[in-house]
Amino acid sequence: MWWRSASFILDKQQTEGVSKQPETLSISPPVDESSMADTFQNPNPKISAYYQSRASHTAVVTSDWLAQAQAAVGFPTDEQLLSEADVRDSESGKPFCVIDEFNNWRKQPDLAEAVAAIRSLAAVIRSSQATTMMELEIELKKASDSLKSWDTTSISLTAGCDLFMRYVTRTSALEYEDFKSAKSRLIERAEKFGEISCKARRIIAMLSQDFIFDGCTILVHGFSRVVMEVLRLAAQNKKLFRVFCTEGRPDRTGLRLSNELAKLDVPVKLLIDSAVAYTMDEVDMVLVGADGVVESGGIINMMGTYQIALVAHSMNKPMYVAAESYKFARLYPLDQKDMAPALRPIDFGVPIPSKVEVEKSARDYTPPQYLTLLFTDLGVLSPSVVSDELIQLYL
Amino acid sequence: MPDVQALVNDFVIKLKKRKIEGSLATAKHTAELLRSVISHQRIPYTNQAAALIDAVKAVGEQLIAANPVELAVGNIVRRVLHIIREEDLSLTTASIAGLSLSAVSDDEDDSEKDDHPALSAAAVAAAARSTLRPPSLQTLLEDVPNQASVHQTSSSGGDSEGKSKSADKSSRSRKLKHDVIEAVNELIQDIATCHEQIAEQAVEHIHQNEVILTLGSSRTVLEFLCAAKEKKRSFRVFVAEGAPRYQGHLLAKELVTRGLQTTLITDSAVFAMISRVNMVIVGAHAVMANGGVMAPVGLNMVALAAKRHAVPFVVLAGSHKLCPLYPHNPEVLLNELRSPSELLDFGEFSDCMDFGSKTGSPLLHVVNPTFDYVPPSLVSLFITDTGGHNSSYMYRLIADYYSADDLVIKKRPSTGS
Repeated sequence: MWWRSASFILDKQQTEGVSKQPETLSISPPVDESSMADTFQNPNPKISAYYQSRASHTAVVTSDWLAQAQAAVGFPTDEQLLSEADVRDSESGKPFCVIDEFNNWRKQPDLAEAVAAIRSLAAVIRSSQATTMMELEIELKKASDSLKSWDTTSISLTAGCDLFMRYVTRTSALEYEDFKSAKSRLIERAEKFGEISCKARRIIAMLSQDFIFDGCTILVHGFSRVVMEVLRLAAQNKKLFRVFCTEGRPDRTGLRLSNELAKLDVPVKLLIDSAVAYTMDEVDMVLVGADGVVESGGIINMMGTYQIALVAHSMNKPMYVAAESYKFARLYPLDQKDMAPALRPIDFGVPIPSKVEVEKSARDYTPPQYLTLLFTDLGVLSPSVVSDELIQLYL
Repeated sequence: MPDVQALVNDFVIKLKKRKIEGSLATAKHTAELLRSVISHQRIPYTNQAAALIDAVKAVGEQLIAANPVELAVGNIVRRVLHIIREEDLSLTTASIAGLSLSAVSDDEDDSEKDDHPALSAAAVAAAARSTLRPPSLQTLLEDVPNQASVHQTSSSGGDSEGKSKSADKSSRSRKLKHDVIEAVNELIQDIATCHEQIAEQAVEHIHQNEVILTLGSSRTVLEFLCAAKEKKRSFRVFVAEGAPRYQGHLLAKELVTRGLQTTLITDSAVFAMISRVNMVIVGAHAVMANGGVMAPVGLNMVALAAKRHAVPFVVLAGSHKLCPLYPHNPEVLLNELRSPSELLDFGEFSDCMDFGSKTGSPLLHVVNPTFDYVPPSLVSLFITDTGGHNSSYMYRLIADYYSADDLVIKKRPSTGS
């Protein structure tokens, strides 16, 4: 299983304890771990002990996601969080809590973050005792703010909240109705948003079919549901193509993608993340998903996307991004560090001396000049169109 | 309508035999043909716009298939479809407004009406308008009907019974047709005058004592340069001859007769001369949705040379050259290989081109492509009849001129987009 955000794991941990371990192990390739451990102890003279030990470290999947979750939320996690939620509960005097609602929705694997956010906001509306539109708006605003501040690293969550808030505050469709029907209409729209999200993926898959030609080699990075949908449809359309999957350290989401693709009988090759430049001359196009599409037209995605984009750019390969339009976020990062930090500890397998610093960021920002086109449900867009869309919406 | 079919067939044959070439001529002919198709189309009482659209699509499909490389044909077909949709919409909203004024709820104009009886006419009109808009974030949460907008909006008046309305209906159908033909006439007018509108902007771009380089011949470029000359700008023009058709020679001759300082160079001398050039101005065959340009062969080289020396590369293109499609492998799929006779005289290499030689295949191949694909990153500026635009802005123009439903022209859009 893969999860968009670290904080999910945290909840999972709360509910299920540390039962995560065997599951993650199942995605890892069938490597004989005991022998690896052996070679670590007594290095095989034929293989470089250095790389061997590195391999053994990565093969042993630890609960790094778990640790990441804790890092992402901040340090004194569980207790503080729970108490925070409690405080909020007692303050509002209601048993309902947006964040719990959100976390419930989040647990469904096929549900996008933005959908979970909007559904939980719908739950707020449902349980609200407001009698005027204004009250409802204020309540929603509070709920969305608390959601946003609860997990600042999730861009889709923020974008989903913003989108829904905008719908509530500015849409003309509500002006003609009385409060009751407006309320039910809002709920109905929010419920439908799940469909919209699934439809968006289908539209993207359809739009991008023209770009996948017979005999092409596609490099993908990490696991993205949209990318998966695109490749699945291409396979269904009997296109002949080959996929290179990066491993996607540290959570190794590429392995999962390669498993899924193998199920579809698509020829797939796994690369370690550092082999991207080495294989780029064979690649015809790079296709990645996105955690968020920002106002400049660039994307924020899993760590490593930026360097792939740079390599692709220098070798004149097209870099395509598949992203649903509700991932468009009102951010304008100026450089890599100009974002809320999303950290996750990386398990190197050996104890790292405390003096050694580790780069723990889970994502990077790819500037728009390295992207060729974005496949979105609004159509195939060039990066500069994104800012146009966002301006139209929020201005 | 046998006479229309004859016209269509005639045009298809002309396109196939390449009797009509060039985006201007094909665009003009296509628009005129579609006008006669529309005027001969019998319009039923219901779904008037849908009937028109189907007719235009059917013809359009034939025309596009006749010469898929001539992108202007498809562009004009899509433009006309967009015109029909727009006119229909404006009529519908007008009629809804009129009906609601008289406070009669006798029509089930839109399906939304059934769902939300509380919605006022204004809301319905807004919803109908949003169906024509390209999809945007704004409409993501609002419920836009997903089916083709035609069936919804064009059913207006169709469901209502009542004989008293038939007169109104027929006048409305005539009005739709009339409006559409009017708009298509405007389109034809626009195509015919696009040179002048582009040329008007010449003085803003060409300055005193500049050196302009161009390749091959384009009527738009000629008019553009001459317009600057007429405004008393003095400048020099380098004309690359544009092998193998050598249309640069014609352009040079024409420029000289208009009194412009002209230098004729070979195509291979472009790199040698580019350092002296202030601006490259060229025409285009088509402008794709991503801002890439299909242009006469040799222009990619010129664009690269211009990029290397940081010389602005300006493309002149009338709006009929704007194509809403993305180029997929454009060097092959959107290209046309012309006869080798343009390179070689008859019989010149007859011994090595003989199929009867030992291996059964000729030793000498002649490849004579017509077009080059210039990627958007090499183009500094597009000048269209609406003004100068960056290549990343092309999508906006395309959103203005075409509706998203028409990108794929098939009679029954099974895939839908």
